Amino acid sequence: MERPRIASQGDLVRFLDQNEGIDPARLVPLPYPYEDWVDEPIKEITEDQRTRIEVGPDGVCGAQIPVPQSEEEKERLVASFLEGLRKLLTKENNWTFLQPLLLSMENCVKCQTCAEACPIYTGSGHMEMYRPTFRAEVLRKIVDRYIKPGGKLFPKLRGNDIELDWETLVKLAELSYRCTLCRRCAQQCPVGVDNGLLTREIRKLFSQELGIAMPELHQVGTVKQLTVGSSTGLNPAGLMDIMEFAEEDITDKTGLEIKIPFDVEGAEYLVLHNAGEFLSWPENLQAFAIILEAAGISWTLSSELVGYDSVNYGLFYDDIQYSRIALKHYEIAKKLGVKKIMMGECGHAHKATMAVADRLIPDSLRVRAESCLVALEDLVTSDRLRLDPSRNDFPVTLHDPCNITRSMGIIQPQRNILAKIAPRFREMEPHGVDNFCCGGGSGFAVCQSLNFPDWRTRVSGRVKFKQILEAFADSIEPETHKYVCAPCSNCKGQMRDLLTYYDAWERCGIMYGGLVELIVNAMADIPEGFLEWEFH
Amino acid sequence: MVGIGLLVFVWVAVIAFVLGCVLKGLHYALTPMHLRWDLYPVAHEPRRDHGGSYLEEKDWWTHKRRTSLAAEVGVMGEEIVLLKGVWQHNRSLWWGSLPFHWGLYLLVVTTAGLVVQGLGWSPPVLTSVLPWVAGVGGFLLLLGSAVLLIERSSSPKLRPYTTPLDRLNLLLLLAFGAASMAVVLAGGFGGAGAAVTSILRFRAPEVTFLLGAQMALGALFVLYMPYTRMAHFFAKYFTYHKVRWDDRPYVAGGPFSSRLEAALEYGMDWSAPHIQSGHSWRDVVTHIPQQDEKGGQ
Repeated sequence: MERPRIASQGDLVRFLDQNEGIDPARLVPLPYPYEDWVDEPIKEITEDQRTRIEVGPDGVCGAQIPVPQSEEEKERLVASFLEGLRKLLTKENNWTFLQPLLLSMENCVKCQTCAEACPIYTGSGHMEMYRPTFRAEVLRKIVDRYIKPGGKLFPKLRGNDIELDWETLVKLAELSYRCTLCRRCAQQCPVGVDNGLLTREIRKLFSQELGIAMPELHQVGTVKQLTVGSSTGLNPAGLMDIMEFAEEDITDKTGLEIKIPFDVEGAEYLVLHNAGEFLSWPENLQAFAIILEAAGISWTLSSELVGYDSVNYGLFYDDIQYSRIALKHYEIAKKLGVKKIMMGECGHAHKATMAVADRLIPDSLRVRAESCLVALEDLVTSDRLRLDPSRNDFPVTLHDPCNITRSMGIIQPQRNILAKIAPRFREMEPHGVDNFCCGGGSGFAVCQSLNFPDWRTRVSGRVKFKQILEAFADSIEPETHKYVCAPCSNCKGQMRDLLTYYDAWERCGIMYGGLVELIVNAMADIPEGFLEWEFH
Repeated sequence: MVGIGLLVFVWVAVIAFVLGCVLKGLHYALTPMHLRWDLYPVAHEPRRDHGGSYLEEKDWWTHKRRTSLAAEVGVMGEEIVLLKGVWQHNRSLWWGSLPFHWGLYLLVVTTAGLVVQGLGWSPPVLTSVLPWVAGVGGFLLLLGSAVLLIERSSSPKLRPYTTPLDRLNLLLLLAFGAASMAVVLAGGFGGAGAAVTSILRFRAPEVTFLLGAQMALGALFVLYMPYTRMAHFFAKYFTYHKVRWDDRPYVAGGPFSSRLEAALEYGMDWSAPHIQSGHSWRDVVTHIPQQDEKGGQ
């Protein structure tokens, strides 16, 4: 397939009028045993679907924007967008990120140093529209032409020659959902410009002004979490059923009688789990319970709406929804009078609750929060748990969730734990603060609509899968069971879809899971075999 | 006439430069406190070698926070002097970018030296070194601008993101570099000192055509520079120190408290259905819309 080329500044604007389909032959090649792997084409959006939902310039549909019913509606939406853009640049509406927004808008020197840092851009075979600066540059042109005084003077000379219409906006909105906000590009920018932040600001503008957002993040994400209690749809009654089942499961597997504590006032820790764990990976919840009980720690979960789900998808697209959820988490912790909040294995929840919210929570609701990785490191390295690492005598590699590493600087605790419990641990390259995103970041892992999952497995997760294969190159045969440790719910969701698409369990014996499961699997006082080698 | 024109133009340029820098600095500095958005590695962190933070410590809030100003200066120094990030991640651009930046640095040093001389302090070493600094600076700026101009006009990754104005800017700097070098090679650098002295005393300088052109080109660049993205020379302070490396934890009752309280009182007027437009941040974010009201959806 011939790629549309951008040759000049003028082409950049015209490029928005073109579509650039994903060519499977150009995706980054995979190593043994995938040299001959032939990707299935990404499902095409049907004509019928196209009458109802707008499609991105790459033929992928993420934001699921309804098609406007008339030209008047299109014009109204364009006007709303410009109104939103003005609001985005005011302190009253956007005090939360105004300074970083202005800095990134006004100081990019377009040197493209960031481009090769992006696993989506490189993984796709360098598709121009996935270049980190591309969508930022479109936004910049719109601001320069339509918002700044004198923006329409000498447009070609200044590069402001963009004509804003609904079609352009659709492409901008869709492209804002082709970046996982991993901020690897920002890390490599010599000026300190953050294209990930600009992408988030674009999403935010669409959400907060036009009510347009990826449905999995908004309607069935934050709205459901705030009204039902969890983005999974789990209500308090359902939660109790699951806990009962989890307690029985712990007893069946280990013989331990553990009562999962709820709403214990004054506990040492309020543990905030991603509720996705309860439904998809209950062994993670169980492993936490086993470890905390074995260590004699006073802990509790909350049964209050929102309090039993650490998820905060507002972090990815909307400051209002983000703030509502973050405040609710702290309000619940404060009400329970716990000493600390412990963030479970969920990367974005870590960042949302511990880092970003650090300047959002008023004094009256302050409770200290800590990463489970730090608390677990303390337990594992201080020998409060009796461990037998030989039980984990299989190759293990670690996936670093971007939100925990690059955005929070929590790198070493998880490695210190693995050094104690995984004798055949090996790093991916690059790793730690330089890691690659799993491809499911910024909530993409939960987006299962239309052809978006195809894009996640073939494009955004491609580089990560390549890294995994390379980490296990010395034992890639399927007879050797291997474990990708991903201490993050969203990352695990992406791992599940990646490994399934590439048939990696059958072809290479690669499994995935969290960190606590590995710890419990190594606990000498627990019967062997906590880790079940069944792909799910 | 030329001398008076140059005198006026240089002073206009200096005033516009100072005004532009101050206004832009205030534009960034006066924005409200933003939510935390740090990015690792953070240079002043003792754990910077592996990109770690104080959040790696158990009960981190009970420990005294340690930071290293020297490490920050070191990282910034590497960036400013060596353009380390470009060297690591964009090597092909570095070959043009380094001489371009060094050319500018040396011409700034030259100007500063001439101002110092003009103010009456003129040690012999300064007099003998400055022409060399100016000549080398001019050459490096000429070289760097030429390489960048070629790169930006031919590279498939740079050309689409380069505006005609960007090219004009590089052409101007190329001419400025060439003129600076030519002034030295033509033996006219001595006139530059006298010209700067005159300008400092608000007197029309006597200049050759070449020196007048060089000074006019430099003044033109100085005049508009803060109003372009070249203002990154000081915006970097904010992108690094106020965003990327700003990992200061919130302390109840501390400096962030009052700023947060003020921010929560801002009124917002976002129009999406889930937002109660016209209310304060505090009111909107502490109210959770239910299914049957605006925002419940």
